Amino acid sequence: MLNEIFIKPFADMVGAPDFLLQVLWEGLVSGILYALIALGFVLIYRSSRIFNFAQGIMVVFAALTLVGLHAMGVPAWICVILTLGVMFVLAVTIERVVLRPLVGQPDIILFMATIGITLFLIGFGEIIFGGENKVMITSELGIPTDSVLLEPWGGLLILEQKDITAVVVAALLVVALLAFLNKTRMGRAIRALGDDHQAALSVGISLQTIWVLVWFIAGIIALVTGIAWGARAGVSFALEVIAYKALPVLMLGGLESITGAIVGGLMIGMLEKLFEIYWGQPLLGGNTETWFAFMLALIVLLFRPQGLFGERIIERV
Amino acid sequence: MKHFTRLAAAAALGALMGGTALAEGLYTPNLAYRTGPFAATGIPIMNGQKDYMELLNARDGGIGGVPVDFEECETGYSTEKGVECYEKTKGRAIVTQPWSTGITLQVLPKTNVDEIPILAPGYGFSPMADGKVFKWAFNTPLSYWDGASIILEYLSQQGDLKGKKVAFLHLDHPFGKEPLPYLEMKAESQGFELLPIPVGLKEMQNQSAQWLQIRRERPDYVIMWGWGAMNAGAITEAVKTKFPMENMLGVWWAGHDADLNLVGEAGKGYKSVSWSFPNPDAPIMADLQKYLVEPGNTLSNPEEMAGVFYSRGLVISMMLAEGIHVAQAHFGKGEISPSELRWGLENLNLTEERLAELGMTGMVPPFSTSCANHTGHSGGWILEWDGAKFTKASDLIMPDSAAIAELEEAKAKEYAEANAPWPMNDDCKM
Repeated sequence: MLNEIFIKPFADMVGAPDFLLQVLWEGLVSGILYALIALGFVLIYRSSRIFNFAQGIMVVFAALTLVGLHAMGVPAWICVILTLGVMFVLAVTIERVVLRPLVGQPDIILFMATIGITLFLIGFGEIIFGGENKVMITSELGIPTDSVLLEPWGGLLILEQKDITAVVVAALLVVALLAFLNKTRMGRAIRALGDDHQAALSVGISLQTIWVLVWFIAGIIALVTGIAWGARAGVSFALEVIAYKALPVLMLGGLESITGAIVGGLMIGMLEKLFEIYWGQPLLGGNTETWFAFMLALIVLLFRPQGLFGERIIERV
Repeated sequence: MKHFTRLAAAAALGALMGGTALAEGLYTPNLAYRTGPFAATGIPIMNGQKDYMELLNARDGGIGGVPVDFEECETGYSTEKGVECYEKTKGRAIVTQPWSTGITLQVLPKTNVDEIPILAPGYGFSPMADGKVFKWAFNTPLSYWDGASIILEYLSQQGDLKGKKVAFLHLDHPFGKEPLPYLEMKAESQGFELLPIPVGLKEMQNQSAQWLQIRRERPDYVIMWGWGAMNAGAITEAVKTKFPMENMLGVWWAGHDADLNLVGEAGKGYKSVSWSFPNPDAPIMADLQKYLVEPGNTLSNPEEMAGVFYSRGLVISMMLAEGIHVAQAHFGKGEISPSELRWGLENLNLTEERLAELGMTGMVPPFSTSCANHTGHSGGWILEWDGAKFTKASDLIMPDSAAIAELEEAKAKEYAEANAPWPMNDDCKM
């Protein structure tokens, strides 16, 4: 047994390095997509202290809007613009109808409100688009769908071009987001609101504008995530459950940290794949991805309750 | 928007009809799942089921002159909601159609007490076939063990399975695990290596780890026990991993046209076992066109109606309607009770001639049931995806009844002992 745990997995990694690279690549792709979903959570939490339970269904709603519009004969890139418009309208509506009347209420009330948004979007989405699995308009958006076959160490490494595209676009989105938050007035306003609500309001930052903005950015992230996941296995309401994979990412990285979301997503994506392939499948019968990320996050929380990159809260009593 | 308009029209029609003619009649609730992660599988089947009953009402005034009150209770494939739906509908229901192996297992003991037959066509607990133990449960025309047996028989026809490696990619759920006892038994007797690979509910659309395992283990065949979003996830990963599609076979719930449309040509050669098949020339399809499509009374569309799953929905409702018809004829009355329907379902005799009378030739193999045989074990076809649609790739293949009967009897006995005191069907002397 000790051999199975401590020696064989590493011997397998060394024995088939091309396969190890494939495992790491698949982990990276999953990880970057987890990170994207987690980013949506973090942005909203930073600016409003709301844990947005609706992030997962926003991914589904954005992807369904995109393919739904295309099914009506609208050209692909116009669909992207129109979908962004829909996500903006959704952000404004959520701020006006749900959040504004609840300003000043305890966090749990706002959290419950996002559960309400989730249930509404599920029902509304199913009425408008139906529950059938739909094909993502991958090639119509110019995303290549072939595979790149490499032969490292005489082995085989398969890289899907749509996965490469997803990784590149996600990386660009993260860079753009960081630049926006650090280099622009609005970005700094979002950060200020996250750091100290009262102080930010006292210098004239508009809570309503910032909330619309962050929900809209979360909508953009949801659209990119929806395209990336939808290109892998179609667009359906099952995509929503993938959002739950972002929860351990947030626990690991910290709810307020953009860096934490990215590092946490990549760590979980890659570690859960490595564990599943080299330990989970041979020793535990597989399907360890269901719980591994939560176990990892739990272990981190034992030592760093604020997560790896979260802010340590010290309160005087 | 078109979908919305249809739904609104259907809701209005339902409300109108619910308040008048159909308030009384043969109440046959369906614990449907048109929402949630499994909706893609559920919608075409539910549409087929609903349309068949609507057709009987529109064309024949119901069954034996009594209108069918066909109502859906949405479960989203959730076991908890399914049990709630069962409790909500059992007062008036003459049958329960639980629509998930998890829900079936939960309501199975309750139906003994409430004395309502369970109709679980092609799903549920395989030993339900043993009518002497499971008096109130029916899983016509094939059980999951039958399905696994037909797949193994087909693979054996391609070459001896001895020494081969067979991966069993399955949903980590009661449904996905159901054929394992049979496959394990056959792996031992036929000498092949069985490699079970579970897929968690949250991993259905991200099966890269499972397919990395398949790449590493290099199985000769992959048998897929998938439902809903798992099917599309597996097929796209199979294409990506370059697994030979002709060596991948799925259960009947993994043979949905819409799932294969995601990969189109790349899915060519993929196979699925099936106990139903669409027949566009069958008279029933012309009747559906006349009585439902033209007046705009269906939630379906031409593409879906031509598919395997819609056709299966029609067959499922036909089996229920036939059970009602047989019971009405035997008891000499239109309004029947649940126990009378149970008798009807125990005495189905769907011959080629009867299927022709029903306008459904070729859509389901002939089969019959008895008090001891609640499944019928009709046999099934292997369907193959040709890049655009499923075609028949085999003649009718029968399951290994002897091996299955032995296992059914043992597992039924085990279940009854574990749930003692379990009421047996003492009236059955077969």
